[in-house]
Amino acid sequence: MSIFEYNGSALVAMVGKNCFAIASDRRLGVQLQTIATDFQRIYKIHENLFIGLSGLATDAQTLYQRLVFRHKLYQLREERNMKPETFASLVSAILYEKRFGPYFCQPVIAGLGDDNKPFICTMDSIGAKELAKDFVVAGTASESLYGACEAMFKPDMEAEELFETLSQALLSSVDRDCLSGWGGHVYVV
Amino acid sequence: MSKAAVDVPMKGGFSFDLCRRNEMLSKKGVQPPSFLKTGTTIVGLIFQDGVILGADTRATEGPIVADKNCEKIHYMAPNIYCCGAGTAADTEAVTDMVSSQLQLHRYHTGRESRVVTALTLLKSHLFSYQGYVQAALVLGGVDVTGPHLHTIYPHGSTDTLPFATMGSGSLAAMAVFESKYHEGLTRDGGVRLVTEAICSGIFNDLGSGSNVDVCVITKGQTEYLRNHQLPNPRTYINEKGYAFSKKTGL
Amino acid sequence: MDPSMADLNSPHSMGTTIIGVTYDGGVILGADSRTSTGMYVANRASDKITKLTDNVYLCRSGSAADSQIVSDYVRYYLHQHTIQLGQPATVKVAANLVRLISYNNKNMLQTGLIVGGWDKYNGGKIYGVPLGGTIIEQPFAIGGSGSTYLYGFFDQEWKDGMTKDEAEKLVVKAVSLAIARDGASGGFVRTVIINSEGVTRNFYPGDAFPLWHEELEPQNSLLDILSSSSSSEPMVS
Repeated sequence: MSIFEYNGSALVAMVGKNCFAIASDRRLGVQLQTIATDFQRIYKIHENLFIGLSGLATDAQTLYQRLVFRHKLYQLREERNMKPETFASLVSAILYEKRFGPYFCQPVIAGLGDDNKPFICTMDSIGAKELAKDFVVAGTASESLYGACEAMFKPDMEAEELFETLSQALLSSVDRDCLSGWGGHVYVV
Repeated sequence: MSKAAVDVPMKGGFSFDLCRRNEMLSKKGVQPPSFLKTGTTIVGLIFQDGVILGADTRATEGPIVADKNCEKIHYMAPNIYCCGAGTAADTEAVTDMVSSQLQLHRYHTGRESRVVTALTLLKSHLFSYQGYVQAALVLGGVDVTGPHLHTIYPHGSTDTLPFATMGSGSLAAMAVFESKYHEGLTRDGGVRLVTEAICSGIFNDLGSGSNVDVCVITKGQTEYLRNHQLPNPRTYINEKGYAFSKKTGL
Repeated sequence: MDPSMADLNSPHSMGTTIIGVTYDGGVILGADSRTSTGMYVANRASDKITKLTDNVYLCRSGSAADSQIVSDYVRYYLHQHTIQLGQPATVKVAANLVRLISYNNKNMLQTGLIVGGWDKYNGGKIYGVPLGGTIIEQPFAIGGSGSTYLYGFFDQEWKDGMTKDEAEKLVVKAVSLAIARDGASGGFVRTVIINSEGVTRNFYPGDAFPLWHEELEPQNSLLDILSSSSSSEPMVS
C-alpha cells in the first residue's frame, strides 16, 4: 500500500474568469474503514488564498500549522498578505527541506493575486511545483479527476458555472475511488 | 538547541526529522511515495556563434502525465541556462540555488557570470550528496571565454562536449546528433537539429512528450523560445463543452 | 521505474584502460576515451588524462565523479604549492597529494589513479595510486578494467631504456589491445608525452588501430560487407 492511500483524499482546483474554485472530498479513512465524513482538507490562509493538503492527514495538519505560523510571521513583518506565488514558493521550500524524509502530503494551492488574477498550483511531496493554467488535481482520486477535468474544463467560466463544473468533476471522480467520497467541500473565490 | 524552540526560517540545508518515522513506516510495508519526475529528453549543442539548448515539456509521476507543458530549461544567469532531468524538485531546487549564488557573485564582482563557475557550484553540490540529489543537467552558456556546453550527472561528474543529451530520451536524441551534427552549424540549422533531436525523444521515448522548448544563447543575447514547436496538439475538444444544471446536490 | 532507466541512473563510471610508462628521458601516459553509465556510452571522446600542473598529469579510472573531485583538489593544492615554492612542484609531491586524498577518503572514493610527470630533480616518474590509497613508484603502471588484459603483455614487452617512439608505440599498442578485449574500454587512444622539453598530446583514432585476432575492417555500412565479400550470397532474414 502506498502511504498516500492510508487516509484517502481527492483534491481539485480550477481557474475561471477572475475567479477560482478549490474542492475536496469529506472522507477521512484508515485504509478502507471510514473514520469521519466531515473532514476538512482545505484550509484558508487568508481571504483570497486556500491550500488543500492531500495524503496522510497527520502530516497535512502538521504542515498546515507550520504554514499558518510562517504566514502570520510574514503578516507581522510585512503588514500585508502573501501573494499566492510567494506562498507557493514557501510551501515548496518547506517541503523540499525534508527532501530525504518527506511529509506524505501533496498540496494544492489556489489563490487570487493582483487584479484578481487566479493562481493555482500543485506540488509533489518534496516541493516540485507544477503550475497550470487550467486545473490541478491531487489525492487518491487524482487519476479519475484528471480524466473528468480534462473533459469538462472550459476556459473563462463564470463563478457559478465553475462551481457546477468543479462539483460534477469531483463527485463523478470520487464515485470511482473507494478511498474518497462522502460529498465535498467547494470554495469559490 | 534554539532551532527546536522556534520554528523560524532555517539557514538552509536539509532536515532529516521525519526520516526515522518514514523508515519505520516503510519497514511496516508502507510504500514510500513516488515523486514528480521529468522522464525527459534534454539536449544541447554548440553552433557557430553560441549554444542552443532544447527540452521536451512532459512531467510524469509514475505512469501519469502530471504536467503536459512544464518548463525544463532553467535560468541560471542572463548568459547561462540549464536543462534539468531527473526528480523535478531536485532539478528545480539545485538550479534555483546556484542561480542565486551566481547573482550574488555578480553583485560582488560586477562581472558577467562564467559557465565554469556555474558548473563548479552545481557539481560540488551534487557530489556532496553522493547521487541522492537526483539531478542530471545540461548546462550551456556563452561568456568571455566563448561558448560552453557541459553535462552534469547526479553523482557530480561532468563532461565537456560539443553536443550532449540527457534524460530517458537521451539515446533517441543522441542518435540524431551522432548522425547529423557537424561543426560550424548556423543558427537556423542548429535550432532545426535540436528540435529534431527533441522530437525523436518525444516520439520514441515514453517518458518524454508534448512540446519542444528551445533556448538560443549567443554573445550578448539570449532567446528563450518557449513552445518553439507543438507537435502534439489536442485533437479532440467537445465544441459544446459540458453544461450542467445549476443545482448540484446530493 | 522503467528498467531501461536503471543504466542511465547508475553512476557515471569509467571502465577504462589507463597506462603510464617511463622511457629514457620522460614519461608517456595513455588512455582510451570511453565513459559509460551501465551499458550506455555516455561520452565517447572523454579525456581521462587530466592536467595537474604544467609538468604533471593524471590518468583517472573508476567513478568519474570521484576521480574528478580528487584531481580538482590536487590541482588546487598544487597551484598554491607552486606559488609558495616559486617553482614547479615535483611529481613526487603531486603523487603524494593524490595519495593523501585517496587514503583519507578511501571509504568514499571509488577511483584508481596514475600520476605521471617530469621534474628537474628526478626526471620522469610514474606513480600508481590504486583503490585503497597506496602509492607505488613504478617504471610502468597500468590501471582500469582493461588493465587485466595487459599484465602479461607488459611483463614481456616493457624494456628499460626505451626511446620515446618505442615507448609511445608500446602504449598505443597496449591500449588498442585492451580496447579490443575489454567492452568497457573503447573509442580512441589519447597519449601525453612529458619530458624536459615540455608536454605533447597525441591522439590515435579508432579506425586506424592495427587489427587484432578475429577483428574485422571498420565498415561504414552493411552494404560494404556485402559488396566486398567474395561469396555473392545475399543476406537472408
